[in-house]
Amino acid sequence: MTIDELKAYDGRNGAKAYVAYKNNIYDVTESPLWKEGEHEGVHFAGEDLTAQLAGAPHGDEVFKGFAIVDKLETPSSLSQTETQTEADLKSKLRSWYKRYHPHPMTVHFPIALHLFAAAMDLLFLFNPQEAYALSVFYTFFAATLMGLVAMVPGILSWWINYDFSSYRPFIIKLVLSLLVLLLGIINIALYLNDQMIVYHDSFAGLTYHAIVLFTGFSVIVLGYYGGKITWGNGSKPVNSGEKHQANAAAQALHSMAKESAQIPVNDQHVFSLLIGGPAGSGIDTIEKILTHALKASGYYVYSTKEYMSRVRGGSNTTLIRISDRPINAPVWEVDLSIALDESALEHMRERYTEKTLVLADVSENGTLPNLITVPIRERAKALGDRRYANTYMAGFIFGVLELELDTLLASIDHYFKEDNENIKAAQEGFKEGAAVEHYTLQELPGSDPKSVEALHLMDGTTACGFGFLAGGCTMVTSYPMSPSTGVLNFMAERSKEFTIVVEQSEDEIASLNMVLGGWYAGARAMTTTSGGGFALMTEALSLSGMTETPAVIYLAQRPGPATGLPTRSEQGDLNMAIYSAHGPFERIILAPGTLEVSIECGYLAFELADRYQVPVILLSDQYLADSMSMIDTVDFSQYEPGSYIIQSKKEYQRYTDVPDGISPRSVPGLGEGLVCAAGDEHDEAGQITESHQTRIEMVHKRARKREALLQSALMPNIEGNGDIAVIGWGSSYGAISEALARVDDPRLCHVHFEWVHPLAEKQLDLLKKYKHTVVVENNASGMFADQLKLHDIKVDKKILQYNGFAFFADQLAQMIKEKIKEL
Amino acid sequence: MQTSFDRENVDVAWCPGCGNFGILKLVKEVLEELHQEKRQTVIVSGIGQAAKTPYYIDTHMYGVLHGRALPVATAIKAANPGLTVIAEGGDGDMYGEGGNHFLHTLRRNPDIVHIVHNNMVYGLTKGQASPTSQRGFVSKVQVEGAKNEPFNPLSVALSLKAGFVSRVNIGNYSHAKEVLKAAFLHKGYALVDIFQPCVVFNQVNTYQWFKENTYLLEEGCDSSNFEEALKKAYESMPMPLGILYQRREELPTFEMHVRGEDHRPLHEVRHDHKKIQELFEKY
Ligand SMILES: Cc1ncc(C[n+]2csc(CCOP(=O)(O)OP(=O)(O)O)c2C)c(N)n1
Ligand code: SF4
Ligand SMILES: [Mg+2]
Repeated sequence: MTIDELKAYDGRNGAKAYVAYKNNIYDVTESPLWKEGEHEGVHFAGEDLTAQLAGAPHGDEVFKGFAIVDKLETPSSLSQTETQTEADLKSKLRSWYKRYHPHPMTVHFPIALHLFAAAMDLLFLFNPQEAYALSVFYTFFAATLMGLVAMVPGILSWWINYDFSSYRPFIIKLVLSLLVLLLGIINIALYLNDQMIVYHDSFAGLTYHAIVLFTGFSVIVLGYYGGKITWGNGSKPVNSGEKHQANAAAQALHSMAKESAQIPVNDQHVFSLLIGGPAGSGIDTIEKILTHALKASGYYVYSTKEYMSRVRGGSNTTLIRISDRPINAPVWEVDLSIALDESALEHMRERYTEKTLVLADVSENGTLPNLITVPIRERAKALGDRRYANTYMAGFIFGVLELELDTLLASIDHYFKEDNENIKAAQEGFKEGAAVEHYTLQELPGSDPKSVEALHLMDGTTACGFGFLAGGCTMVTSYPMSPSTGVLNFMAERSKEFTIVVEQSEDEIASLNMVLGGWYAGARAMTTTSGGGFALMTEALSLSGMTETPAVIYLAQRPGPATGLPTRSEQGDLNMAIYSAHGPFERIILAPGTLEVSIECGYLAFELADRYQVPVILLSDQYLADSMSMIDTVDFSQYEPGSYIIQSKKEYQRYTDVPDGISPRSVPGLGEGLVCAAGDEHDEAGQITESHQTRIEMVHKRARKREALLQSALMPNIEGNGDIAVIGWGSSYGAISEALARVDDPRLCHVHFEWVHPLAEKQLDLLKKYKHTVVVENNASGMFADQLKLHDIKVDKKILQYNGFAFFADQLAQMIKEKIKEL
Repeated sequence: MQTSFDRENVDVAWCPGCGNFGILKLVKEVLEELHQEKRQTVIVSGIGQAAKTPYYIDTHMYGVLHGRALPVATAIKAANPGLTVIAEGGDGDMYGEGGNHFLHTLRRNPDIVHIVHNNMVYGLTKGQASPTSQRGFVSKVQVEGAKNEPFNPLSVALSLKAGFVSRVNIGNYSHAKEVLKAAFLHKGYALVDIFQPCVVFNQVNTYQWFKENTYLLEEGCDSSNFEEALKKAYESMPMPLGILYQRREELPTFEMHVRGEDHRPLHEVRHDHKKIQELFEKY
């Protein structure tokens, strides 16, 4: 059925409840979660939920229990191209409109003229002179004419900027304008028919004056609603009923988008806030408090940081985005920005638009039109201590955004535990923030405390840590290196509660060698490192390969070569992860892109390593490690570590030549046998050998593991139905996903790899069916694209970024648009 | 003497007359005489002639990379504190390539026995100077003779407060046996540096040379005197043999730090997923 036919199955009044997801139509009538065709008050039956669920914490699995009743018919490619040209036209018109803003320009004429006509008419009624009568008519005539002139661009703007939104102010304006126009024509006709009616108290005469006075009043109402559309509801508290009404325009767009099953990630749904200041100034504290309080306020929260490799000074920033839906990507341009000092302002400047409201602790407000000077440090000092700047600013932000102060205070209490001074600072900040006058600030999206309450806010580091815990990690030996250290910290913090041996080794060489010692003796051991440290581990990596001792390596990438950009992000170590270390041996490389997948990959790393007796590398990066977003509850009982080691018999041989190459592994002390493992080429018993036959047998035995382990390969994640595959891997998942939602082009689809090596036939076959491929990578050479080419996958275009930043969704959307044109 | 640690059908790769044969016999006999259970014993070795020793001993073994036996052995001990763990290798392996691990293993104090075959030469790679080679030792690489200060494992171990520091000469077998036994019985890290003549590549430091240039520490001398030990460690020509230092009081070992009272082998440890769940719900 088509999307229109689907609408009938809304589950209301006894109708069946059907929902569409990824082209399938499911019957959810019987589900208790879909009473009256409504799910959690967010999703509705009779709709295509594909786009709505794109960023949702759960995926396809939620539909597994439901029967597929039909397929959703997609519009033919012809109508798709039609929508495309329409969208193109719209965006052209929009930029023209932005430049000339014809409606605000023309709308003042009829308003002034109608008011003037009404004023003249009042004068005439008191003092009926011909001069007044004449000026009433001529101004009224001009007013009616100019009214028409203003309406045309007004309606155009309603279409291109607001998608014919049914938000009440639009409707009021439309109806009233048409009425004013109609009445104007009637009045002009009345007057031209008999100019003397102005002096008569006949019906015609009274009507004439009534209309002049009524239209004069009407334009005041029209002006009021025009202002409401442009500026929103100003100073009303966000969570009051009225704010919700002010958000109706956004809501209207939301539901429209829902109907067309494409949710453009537009400004109405997200609000982005960028905070900048020197290292050591406590931005981290603001981030912690704000993200906590914003979540408590009912928003989906996302945050990411960007910082310099220094402990004090410089300029670091934290981006916080809030939304009414799951969000998992950074953007370059922001709505609100807080600069704690001059250099932070300079640092962030390029990310401001004309609409960005900037609150800065600077002496002059320079050339930025929307900059408001806030003497943050001075105020903090006045409040008793420089350190209160953070809570003061958090309060200030809540004040500007008109959020609930109590929610913020609860969060501050959560972090500072009965610290009255900080509470006072926040209250003070809130008061001052609420008093700030501003006109351009983007409206906040709708909040929904109910649906976000059950979610968890954490960064990639923490999610990976949970994965490793779930994988049964019992030993971590690492040498600290950004951006991997967070996982080391996470595991160390839990080491006593969970029996985990944690040791900071003397160098990365020792780290991985200890990991191998640990596994050899029965531990589930791992190390955490970044590129430079991993380079030192490569010899031990080959020892893992030769001795078939499992190993788990959490490799959080940062830009190289050498020390590179220590605190920044890049997906630049893929080649090293694939090719490092001498001699051929099997390894598995996983690269998660979401919190859920991070947990899964952390768990899988241990399972796969143990099962196939190979090193498993989990590729993360600074971006993934340091970015926070929301995750639904994960059921950890599903992550049961398997048992892969055996009780040995007396005649046990560590390297028994078995068909799948995976010789049963025992550990010292478990059983009657002896475990003899050797880094030299060895025979089945683990004795050094130089026999060329044994060498060949052992090379083959180890190589056969590939076939076995490829069966565990994870299929790439696919979103969208287009025949142009935008291919990504690892941490860029969120950015690509949002970028594609922004581009909103049905020809595109997102194919994302989490299992990046070795590539399996089933993964590659899937890619072969796409007409075009565009590979998006956070490195300079396109390493994953090269892997695909090696496997005979055609790569048409590459989008590469290697400036130290992970992709920003808004910028990436632009890059994708441009690249697609080249196809 | 036959021991239960004799391994059959192995092709021993050493040159006839090499001091390594004595050390192999020594280790097996000490294990036997201490009634060591071979299923509870692991020998970890790196790469070199000396590092081949565990391949000839019938017990668990892990032959790792050149220089890396110590971190591997340390982790094995932590993963299963019930095992007796030995790290064994040559002077190049342990003091050269693995020098950094040597320093930090001393600091960690795992309860392992560290056996170093000190032949003052790189045997396997055919005769280059090793860290312990004496000044003037000529080789194909050190054509004008070794110029660097010889590495002194004993003073280094003492400076990092190792609890058991000893040196023996395999030419004095019975003395070596006594010391090695004491090393096994010591709780904590124990270094046994064994002078081992390489009959092929070291024509200077021969059986004869080691005999002439060493002396036995007097029996009954106080091995718990740290300052005395440090002085002795610097003595040369002749060099003292025996237990230079053994700390009287037991210090906590590495595995005690990381495992506490829990001595279960780690393969028996399972994390409770309910506890993980609880922790997760706090976020
Ligand atoms: C990383 C690495 N570098 C170099 C070598 C080559 N190599 C093997 S053994 C050895 C030195 C052996 O000297 P020593 O440890 O004193 O043992 P010996 O043979 O004298 O018993 C060297 C340099 C190697 N195997 N690995
Ligand atoms: S080369 Fe030297 S150390 Fe090696 S086996 Fe021969 S004699 Fe012994
Ligand atoms: Mg040597």
